[in-house]
Amino acid sequence: MLLAKDIMTPNVITISGSATVAEAVKIMKDKGLRALVVDRRSDSDPYGIVTETDIVYKIAAFGHDPKKMRVYEIMTKPCITVNPDLGVEYVARLFANTRIRRAPVIEGKLQGIISVSDILKKGDFVEKPKQLYIEDRLDVAREEARAVCAAKGATSPECAAAWDEVEELQAAAADKRQSEKKPSSLEAYCAENPDARECRIYED
Amino acid sequence: MMQAQEIMTKDVVTISGSSTVAEAVKIMKDQGLRALIVERRSDGDPYGIVTETDIVYKIAAFGHDPKKMRVYEIMTKPCITVNPDLGVEYVARLFANTRIRRAPVVKGQLLGVISISDILNKSDFVEKPKSEFELYCEDNPSALEARIYD
Repeated sequence: MLLAKDIMTPNVITISGSATVAEAVKIMKDKGLRALVVDRRSDSDPYGIVTETDIVYKIAAFGHDPKKMRVYEIMTKPCITVNPDLGVEYVARLFANTRIRRAPVIEGKLQGIISVSDILKKGDFVEKPKQLYIEDRLDVAREEARAVCAAKGATSPECAAAWDEVEELQAAAADKRQSEKKPSSLEAYCAENPDARECRIYED
Repeated sequence: MMQAQEIMTKDVVTISGSSTVAEAVKIMKDQGLRALIVERRSDGDPYGIVTETDIVYKIAAFGHDPKKMRVYEIMTKPCITVNPDLGVEYVARLFANTRIRRAPVVKGQLLGVISISDILNKSDFVEKPKSEFELYCEDNPSALEARIYD
């Protein structure tokens, strides 16, 4: 599973909450950014974020003067943050559930920023779509299959169809476990030294 | 007042609603786009839009297979469209009120796409912020309140 840290943008620009919005706009224009992370005031202070959406929705739409407005007046703080080890599918689900598009990646300190664009461009959801909570769904499918078979009879077509579904989920879960498995030390060694004696594969 | 047509992005890529989401993702990756406009099926049909947010929220977040899902299943159609003559401040207000970030610019036919990035990067809201009163006076130069006394 790809992790947030694999696809995040490591270059993040921070800004002080007391800066003017005009300063924020200048930095975003110059660097081609859609969001800035707002500096913490101390180590225990939460991170904030100010995005182009905040600026357009709260400043441009009302004709407020960006030179007179401050970042703290329009920022989101505390903002939702992502752990660098969170799987990309979970980042996508978190974003969908909270209706956000971008979040700082934090572990102790700021490591980067991850956005829907990173997920789209660098994620592998097209090549390898991954369903979440597959083990939970497997449990439910198994219970349902038992119930159907008890009601309709163990040889009924409904019963067979229900167990087919269980089997499909089981295959997907096994596939997921397989792809998450790290290669063993021998496999790693053989990948580097394919000609070594230990790596010979016998055909019988 | 700057108008939508002055800051919109004129290169728009369209896609058919029956294409797969995987095809849409490929076009967006190859061309560096955040949204595609969904073609009309006839002249009387409305325009649609499919954005990277739609794809991440509705496909990636649920592990659906983009090769099996179609654009029409996740697109927004009809979508809010903007007239090319609309002032940029009004585009910003429309976007804020409807919580959208991007809309096709349409007059008879598709002319471009305008997004919050266009407003941020190309409009003059920093140099010339316009209050409600100033907007009113620009729209109604002959109104009593708009007279300027020397």
